[in-house]
Amino acid sequence: MKRALVFCLLHGPLLRAGAPATAPPDARQTVAASVIRIEKPAGKLAATGVIVTPDGYFLTKASEVPKLAGSSFFLPDGKPARVREVRRDSRTDVLLLQCSGVNGLAAVKWSESKSLAPGQWLLAPRQGGREDARLGVMSARRREIKGGSAAIGIRMADQDSPEGVRIIGVAEDSPAAAAGLKENDRLISIAGEAVKKYTVAHELISSREPGDEIEIEYKRGGKLTKCSVRLASRNRVLSNWTGEDYANGGISIRTDNFPEIIQHDIPLGPADMGGPVFNLLGQAVALNIARVDRVTTFALPMEVFWPGVQQWIEDDRHPPKAVVK
Amino acid sequence: MSGTRRPSLTVSVCVAVLAAAWVTVAGRASALESSKETIGELLKIQAQVQSRLDLVSRAVVAVESDDGAASGVIVSPDGLVMTAAHVTTNPGRKILLHLADGTKTGCKSLGLDKSTDAAMMRIDGDRKDWPYVPLCRDLRMAKPGTWCFALGHPGGYDAKRGPVLRVGRVLKQMANGLQTDCVLMGGDSGGPLFNLDGEVIGIHSQIWEERDQNVHVSVAPFLRAWDTLKQSHVVRVWNTGVGGWLGVMTRISSAAELEIAEVAKDSPAAKAGLQSGDVIVTLDGERMLDQPQFSSAINSRAAGQRISLRLRGKSGPRVVEVSLGTKPVED
Repeated sequence: MKRALVFCLLHGPLLRAGAPATAPPDARQTVAASVIRIEKPAGKLAATGVIVTPDGYFLTKASEVPKLAGSSFFLPDGKPARVREVRRDSRTDVLLLQCSGVNGLAAVKWSESKSLAPGQWLLAPRQGGREDARLGVMSARRREIKGGSAAIGIRMADQDSPEGVRIIGVAEDSPAAAAGLKENDRLISIAGEAVKKYTVAHELISSREPGDEIEIEYKRGGKLTKCSVRLASRNRVLSNWTGEDYANGGISIRTDNFPEIIQHDIPLGPADMGGPVFNLLGQAVALNIARVDRVTTFALPMEVFWPGVQQWIEDDRHPPKAVVK
Repeated sequence: MSGTRRPSLTVSVCVAVLAAAWVTVAGRASALESSKETIGELLKIQAQVQSRLDLVSRAVVAVESDDGAASGVIVSPDGLVMTAAHVTTNPGRKILLHLADGTKTGCKSLGLDKSTDAAMMRIDGDRKDWPYVPLCRDLRMAKPGTWCFALGHPGGYDAKRGPVLRVGRVLKQMANGLQTDCVLMGGDSGGPLFNLDGEVIGIHSQIWEERDQNVHVSVAPFLRAWDTLKQSHVVRVWNTGVGGWLGVMTRISSAAELEIAEVAKDSPAAKAGLQSGDVIVTLDGERMLDQPQFSSAINSRAAGQRISLRLRGKSGPRVVEVSLGTKPVED
């Protein structure tokens, strides 16, 4: 997609990216000190984590880290960490993990976010703390983001067929395209269920959460093949149908269905999600949860997840003991 | 989708030529960014933005037309709206506006200047108390490094979200435009760029791929052709070097004086009350002797420039001030 110049008139689908503003020098260390780098096998940044206790509990964006196998985790000093999953919450898309055998980490200090108003400066780590922290402002009203459903980015022929439902279109940069699905492939089963009706196929996909992985069996030229597809938010897939998602690093898999968000214009990428958002005093006020488009990032206000997370940590530290009579 | 591929040849070429320069600007901007502002300075900027935000947001509109979603800003209590030419595309089009307070209103596109992407609209009806914002008339104020903020409706109108704020800086000042790092996207077109005093300094126009490549029409082409735009003319001649337009035909009278033969309807001359039979004595103090001298004096001045004419009419001598316009061209 090398179509550089674009008028900013909206014609359905969107474009995307943010400003090159970096943080004032005194705030930079605070911002990077509590950040965990989460890498994919090839060393590419997958997501960012924020340390919430000195003994290694940290949070990230659940749908960007579907499973721990294959991911590598790095502490702020660059050392690799061994990590276990504590709790995954689909309501907020927050994942609680713990690095084992560590202590004395710099946990963020949370501060209330209710008093924030549009125009308030905010800071966030970029590239897992390897680049300077970035600066932006709270850019719109605090609000709920209603959920659309999940999608993988295919169009299906609206004919039921005993040979499986035929795919008639695959969106560019969609989960379906990433998994290798192509036009004219026939869907045989989704998550283990046979699909001879396109309505069933639609239901099997849209009833799940963005970020979930499903197994799809399909036939191409008579040959049966399997692939694994990670569902994305329907809104995200729709905005990509015409290939408007160019440059600027793309957007998050899940961009909707959040109880409450703070919108900001800090220039970040999808792999910066899961990291903390700070005020100018270096207090953490929110958790970056979705890169939505060129101008929009959503962050969960700390009030939405922190009381619950504290309880999860408490429960994890003191699991209920078996009662012996 | 046609609109995003619509860039006129003129604009595409202009931007392509500038691209190399932009890369340098971007590099310099980042270096500048990382060191300068202290927390105290940032807090001062935040206070300024927040003190203006509520008031100016009321004048920001979401634009809905057959072509898609865009933005605009009300700049007079009787409902003149500034937007981008690629939003309205033609005078006389019916357009729907959403105000930040939820008000919905019809609106009609007026004149536009396709070479600079400046355009004007007027809200339907007789209301004289629309929320509006002032324009910054001192173009020199928008120097590179100046803090500014953008508002608009990226992605289209969203009542729960409202207009979206972006704070950034002017990176480059061009003849008819400004480049900033206030990040724009589809739907922002036509929305306002403000200085920290809450005055409009630009209208969102184009983006390039990088995040700091956001281009706004400056207020210059608006101020230059204000009346022309208000009169629903399509401005096209400015960039061709034709210059200002008064709207009179002259002749040499029997007394060998330069005399007005005819005044074009709705022209700057007609509005200033020039009449056929008036003798033109001086223009900005310079004595006018013949037609070539007079037309070259008009053409060498820019549209928007005010001139002073000393005239002698039936009721005696008088001095008239006229703002030159741009000659309307049939679209």
